[in-house]
Amino acid sequence: MEASARDLVYLYCITKVKPHCADLQKNGIKVYPIYSQGIYAIVSKVSSNNFSEDNLKKKLPDMSWVEQNVRQHENLVEAIMSETTVLPFKFATVFQTEKNVEKLLKEHNAEFKRIIADLKDAHEWGLKIYCNPEKLKVLLEEKNEQIRGKAQEIASAGKGKAYFLKKKKDELIKNILNEKISEYTQNSFEKLEKMSSRAKINKVLPKEVTEKKEDMVLNSAFLVNKKQIIGFNRVLANLKTKYSDKGLILDCSGPWPPYNFCSIRGNEEKHG
Amino acid sequence: MDNVMLKSKDVTLLEILDRVLDKGVVVSGDIVISVADVDLVYVGLKVLLSSVEAMERLRGAPFAGAGEEPT
Repeated sequence: MEASARDLVYLYCITKVKPHCADLQKNGIKVYPIYSQGIYAIVSKVSSNNFSEDNLKKKLPDMSWVEQNVRQHENLVEAIMSETTVLPFKFATVFQTEKNVEKLLKEHNAEFKRIIADLKDAHEWGLKIYCNPEKLKVLLEEKNEQIRGKAQEIASAGKGKAYFLKKKKDELIKNILNEKISEYTQNSFEKLEKMSSRAKINKVLPKEVTEKKEDMVLNSAFLVNKKQIIGFNRVLANLKTKYSDKGLILDCSGPWPPYNFCSIRGNEEKHG
Repeated sequence: MDNVMLKSKDVTLLEILDRVLDKGVVVSGDIVISVADVDLVYVGLKVLLSSVEAMERLRGAPFAGAGEEPT
């Protein structure tokens, strides 16, 4: 340990109700609330050995360190979520002092309260859709009239013409494939959007990150109210059935803290 | 009834990173490291955070404003 090591304050989430932080100390991390004007910041002390700007930069390429700390962040927020509505903060939101956390609570007080009220009784659910394009392609070649028509043309054409027709057919398949994926993902999103309070589309992630052999074709998140969850599950089950034999894998996860629905940026209602 | 998968221990790291590292409340102020820097320095995730937007084209117009649409 460096001689200059000092304590910093790591912020996990903000709540309106004081959680039982004593229950959260299983991992030897002392989690405690900082209170100001009707809201609580849930924090713990961390060492500058890990979380000072320079040291954090050194730690971040260490995947196992990141995994451990990111999971810990998530586990803590989830434990608090089981008690009350949480406003989850991004990983490594670290302050110099408790006073500065208090200042944050005061400065954004009304906004934090408003967002927490918005999120009451709701959880985030994630839906990532993966597609096996080869499977869908085989299906299209069997079933799609346009593509079958082209195949017949090729069968009855001369050698030279068949070559060009085949190129056209490949092009056609590619286009229809994209159309279908778009149609299926859009339909899935819109059906689930209707069953949720809010919905959001995120960037699809490349295979290097997902480590799946299928392509991610939709990355979405839904804010689902307690009252909506049964309907949401029903629609999801229907979509899974409907699209599974079309080469689509609907990968749903949750309940999550509402990471995707707590942005304080781009807030236009901020003129008070 | 095919239920929504319940979260278990084996929630993939991907799902967690996709949220904890990339989403959540971001504040400016007297924080030690600006969170934006985390994006830049996290080598392993560089690819995640600058990920391809292949879906942009597939999404089509109706999706453009879907992000903040309350029902």
